[in-house]
Amino acid sequence: MIDLIAALLMAVAAVTSIVFTYLAVVEKNLIQAVVFSAVQSTMYALIYFLLMAPDIVLVYLPVGVGIYPAIILLLIKKTDKVDE
Amino acid sequence: MKVTDLVVAASIVALALLLSYAMFLGGIGPVPVRSELRTLALNYILLTYNPAKIIYSALAPEGVTAIVWDYRGLDTYFETAVMFLAIISVVALTHGCKVRIGLGKGGMSLIVKTTTRILMPLIVLAGVSITMHGWLTPGGGFQGGATIAVATVLALVTYSIDTLAKHGIRKKILLAMRSTGLIGIALTAVALLIIGLAVGVNAYIFQNQERMGSPLAFPAYFSGTPTGGSLLFYNLFEAFAVSAGLSLAIIVTSLREEEVKETLRGEGVE
Amino acid sequence: MSELIIPYLLTVVFVSFVINLVIALYGIFARPTLVKKIIALTIFSDSLNSLAIFVGYRVVSGRVPAPPVVVNYTSPQGPAQLAKVTVDPLPQALVLTAIVIGLAVTLFMVKVTMQVHRIYGTTSVRKLERIEHGNKGEEDEGVVE
Repeated sequence: MIDLIAALLMAVAAVTSIVFTYLAVVEKNLIQAVVFSAVQSTMYALIYFLLMAPDIVLVYLPVGVGIYPAIILLLIKKTDKVDE
Repeated sequence: MKVTDLVVAASIVALALLLSYAMFLGGIGPVPVRSELRTLALNYILLTYNPAKIIYSALAPEGVTAIVWDYRGLDTYFETAVMFLAIISVVALTHGCKVRIGLGKGGMSLIVKTTTRILMPLIVLAGVSITMHGWLTPGGGFQGGATIAVATVLALVTYSIDTLAKHGIRKKILLAMRSTGLIGIALTAVALLIIGLAVGVNAYIFQNQERMGSPLAFPAYFSGTPTGGSLLFYNLFEAFAVSAGLSLAIIVTSLREEEVKETLRGEGVE
Repeated sequence: MSELIIPYLLTVVFVSFVINLVIALYGIFARPTLVKKIIALTIFSDSLNSLAIFVGYRVVSGRVPAPPVVVNYTSPQGPAQLAKVTVDPLPQALVLTAIVIGLAVTLFMVKVTMQVHRIYGTTSVRKLERIEHGNKGEEDEGVVE
């Protein structure tokens, strides 16, 4: 039963990550795109946890949810705010 | 975000579900899920902590750290070198730029600053703890270093780059810390080789425990607990290198436009 | 029942990663702004890393697999017991370093994009192309004069 729940959660997180990847790619407002990309990273972190990779979760949470959005927000602040 | 975007996203999700149904029925190829372990993985799991076969073992219970720093240590060494090159090129792009005190407004409000002052030591402590348990539980140098770098991002956003410069977190110091970590990794890699040359015994580069034809080894236990031998030092120095390197790159990235443009025009060069 | 559903759900995860790869590739090629290209590139590399980890996953009947950590290391049978239920540690070890190096390389790309914006005033590839051609034309005129 527990393996079924884990697989179900994994599939739901994977499907949600598709939605947020698509939104991050097509969104014109770059700040919103970064937020969508961060949500997609959170989904990936959940999938890594359920794929039994605790090391990857520990390295991916600070990198994918903490540092990536921070530096890309810095970049957006200094360059264009809107995609063409 | 518009309604059409959501409709397209929903249809892509439907495509994914149907495509995987076709794959599941065998229409495209075999289902990419195994139920047995590969032979290589089986060897790693059986040998990662095995005092009976010490010449093949890393004597660390955590399989991933044992592979990263013992079985495939040379790979990791050169990957660290690639990371060092990337960070050096980031620094080289802003060569000569100096932080000018008093340019910005000085960060966020007092409430945020106080909260950050409480949170930052906790984040650093969590990073150190992740690092120092790397050979027993999930964790290690890369994870701890990335966690500590988050504290730098937090400080940079809450306070300003001025405050960090005033408190001594400067380019040169971080670069020195980064180099210390790398030199530490290199020294740990050749430590047993040097001892072997001095004593006159066989030894290998990246040697951790006793290997075939070489009796030298790092101490594997400390008061009954496994220390992972050299993995302890590798994790420590790698956390040093990763945290200082990423902090350096982030601080250099957040230099203000006025400071960088000044240097580009040729004024204010050191 | 669950023997049939679990492989289907895991296939959904696999296909989702592949579709994310495709969407991110579309983002890299079709969106003009360099910032958007960087965002899509991070998604691309994360999806590839996820595929590598997924290759190391395995199905153990009746329970979830264990992470590759020998918890019961004091007993001699500990590693053998773990080998029955654990996942493959090798892809995880390779992806671990790839993520941190990817971050450093992304920082470099961010810095270069800032420099492009400083010099040309835009990060859109289409505008940059026009600026490039415009500059060439002026130089040619200068030579003629």
